[in-house]
Amino acid sequence: MAMSRAATVAAYLDELPAARRAVLAPVLNVLRTVPFLALLALSACARDDAATAKKPAVTTVPGTRIAVPRRGPPGEWTQAAGDYSASRFSQLDQITPENAKNLHAAWTFSTGVLRGHEGQPLVVGNTMYVVTPYPNVSYALDLATEGQPLKWKVRPENSQTAVGLACCDVVNRGAAYANGRLFYNLLDGHTVAIDVTTGQLLWRTQMGNLAKGETMTMAPLVVKGKVIVGSSGGEMGVRGWIAALDEVTGKEIWRAYNIGPDADIKVGKRFKPFYHTDTSANQGATSWPANTWQQGGATVWGWLSYDPDLNIVYHGSSNPGPWNGAQRPGDNKWSAAIIARDADTGEMIWAFQPTPHDVWDYDAVNENILVDLPIGGTVRKALVHFDRNGFAYTMDRATGEVILAKPFVPMNWANGVDLKTGRPQLNAAKVPYQGKKVSFICPSLEGGKNQQPAAFSPATGLFYVPTNNLCMDFEAREVSYIPGTPYIGGNAPEVAGPGGYRGEFIAWDATTGRKVWGIKEPYPVWGGALATKGDVVFYGTLDGWFKAADARTGAVLWKFKVGSGIVGNPMTYLGPDGKQYVAIYAGIGGDMGLLIAGDVAANLPYDVRERGSTLPDIARWTSWGGMLFVFSL
Amino acid sequence: MVSRMPFFFVVAALALPVVHAYTRDSRSAALPQGQAVVGNDLAGRFVSHEEHIQPGMVKPFAGMALRNPHDGDASAIATGAKLFVSYNCVDCHGADGSGAMGPSLADGRWHFGGANAEVFESIYQGRPEGMPAWGSLISDDQIWLLVSYVRSLEKGKNVTTENFGGATVERTGH
Repeated sequence: MAMSRAATVAAYLDELPAARRAVLAPVLNVLRTVPFLALLALSACARDDAATAKKPAVTTVPGTRIAVPRRGPPGEWTQAAGDYSASRFSQLDQITPENAKNLHAAWTFSTGVLRGHEGQPLVVGNTMYVVTPYPNVSYALDLATEGQPLKWKVRPENSQTAVGLACCDVVNRGAAYANGRLFYNLLDGHTVAIDVTTGQLLWRTQMGNLAKGETMTMAPLVVKGKVIVGSSGGEMGVRGWIAALDEVTGKEIWRAYNIGPDADIKVGKRFKPFYHTDTSANQGATSWPANTWQQGGATVWGWLSYDPDLNIVYHGSSNPGPWNGAQRPGDNKWSAAIIARDADTGEMIWAFQPTPHDVWDYDAVNENILVDLPIGGTVRKALVHFDRNGFAYTMDRATGEVILAKPFVPMNWANGVDLKTGRPQLNAAKVPYQGKKVSFICPSLEGGKNQQPAAFSPATGLFYVPTNNLCMDFEAREVSYIPGTPYIGGNAPEVAGPGGYRGEFIAWDATTGRKVWGIKEPYPVWGGALATKGDVVFYGTLDGWFKAADARTGAVLWKFKVGSGIVGNPMTYLGPDGKQYVAIYAGIGGDMGLLIAGDVAANLPYDVRERGSTLPDIARWTSWGGMLFVFSL
Repeated sequence: MVSRMPFFFVVAALALPVVHAYTRDSRSAALPQGQAVVGNDLAGRFVSHEEHIQPGMVKPFAGMALRNPHDGDASAIATGAKLFVSYNCVDCHGADGSGAMGPSLADGRWHFGGANAEVFESIYQGRPEGMPAWGSLISDDQIWLLVSYVRSLEKGKNVTTENFGGATVERTGH
């Protein structure tokens, strides 16, 4: 409406380098009057010449493919995970195992914020978009001009109160781009849209209630004109939701809670869970005692993915609240669940709880990667999910069936997953209950993997997964609900898991549930993964190393010590000069950096902390930061 | 705010004779050093005064107005420790107040002052970055018990430097 496709063309022209603009302007100006054709033309005219010129088939494993390969120029990165399938795979292939040793820092940018930099920048045309942790400043950097000057900088109004209500540092997991607009969430519970040509705030919609402890940290996903967002605050006794806003007006179109009566969680005739035990009416309320679901958590602070053929948005829900399970006997549906919803209406299509009645803080918010995989002689429409609980689930994304579930990290809380019911086979000795300290439960509450997203390469057929190897002692206690304060009721100090290392970057075959290779790390690998067609994968470490590894062998090809620990996700783009660049944030923080590490901060004179026993020497290797690093050959 | 009020009274008291001096003197009076501009209504005009005005870095009456009835009472500290858990303070400020979502209370460093009255104010009124205002929720006496506990935490701590051979605290993630 306000931002027509013609305007989008104008925006696109602005993005192009001057020389290219001169050539394309007449063509695109004609196209302004033919909006639909313009859209088609955009994908054709975009600066992907270099990449498309030599474009062999990516898939080398028969039957394996990304469910929805990225549309548009392969040199761009327009949404958090690169594509709707959450693959974090790029078609760019200039960087190879042979030449990766020649990578070097090309340029850097300080975000001006010293907090955990989860998330990743976006690149659209010749502009890079960066969103910082609180106060959630956004920057548009002009990649076509030497020195990458700012096109604009936006500092939206954002309540200070949010800082103390965010459980796990004041992170932001990134923005989404669509049709000339940049969308992201503010920590204080607002979603904003910015006109990328002018830097003007188009709308700002309050979605969360800060007074109840609701914050927002996740990266939106834009589907067919709807900006899909979800809440944070699973440790604050909130009631989690996911919602869709109109991308033009910012008005809420639908909102679905994950817990409560069927009407609230949008369970209706179309709801068909795979397991028959999951079908009774109103179980989002009846699987909780009395009205405890009203403070039951189940927020949506992780990653979203989307299958356009099924028109389903996939998301996870967080831990149930409080952690103390004695206060909420029952399955606590649909907390700690993987949930499939209709993108237009929010209706629940299926749901599955990897950890029913979670008492370990095993949120199920980790990304759901959508791929087609050859399993048992047929090609399955799969969803692959590396859960906090330590099992990697290969599921049927149309039905919610668990095809296989295997441990991807050392674990002892369960002996396996019963494929008839989908439920974990519990180890009774590792189930926490009120009044007793249960020792050495693996994985810890940080999970076998946490927010750090995995990547998938159709070239190798493998998933690249940053993992944690931590175990915990869990002590649950009674807790009262006081709005705006944590609703936790438990304490869970952590130690290194079996083997003594605390993290590993692994390659995983989801058709068999086997680890193919791994690179052990001294600290949890809290940053995400990037896979590329050049068969090089990238990841960062908590002690500040940015690494390139051979996608097939796991050999570390190159590493660079950046200015602070990495909790963000690498992305890659094609510069205006036709070169492949790889970008990563450096800025330790998040749950692991802020809560666990203790005193790695030097800028708060009134907050000096003793070192945490989980990572007692991390502060020797890093300190707080907030930098973007960009590398090239 | 309570403890800041007296400070403003002081400034006002000092400013008063200055204003009087201005109204007595003619506008053409020479401007000596130490000229001061007081208030918007005097913007652009200059006045003189003879006494020094110190930079306002010390709150002159901090802690004078509010007295902790439990000061020095060890049993109050133990009771305060229980309240610290039951009002969910522990999940923000960490076990033993060592810092978590909220800042450490055990480091002897205070964002808003560590005197009895200042800690009372922080709990009673709340603070901007998410500290709830408890004044309307719990009794003054319970706040004082919490003050006693919180102020006891820094005793014996030395966390001013990073000592990699030293002790650690157990932390829990969220």
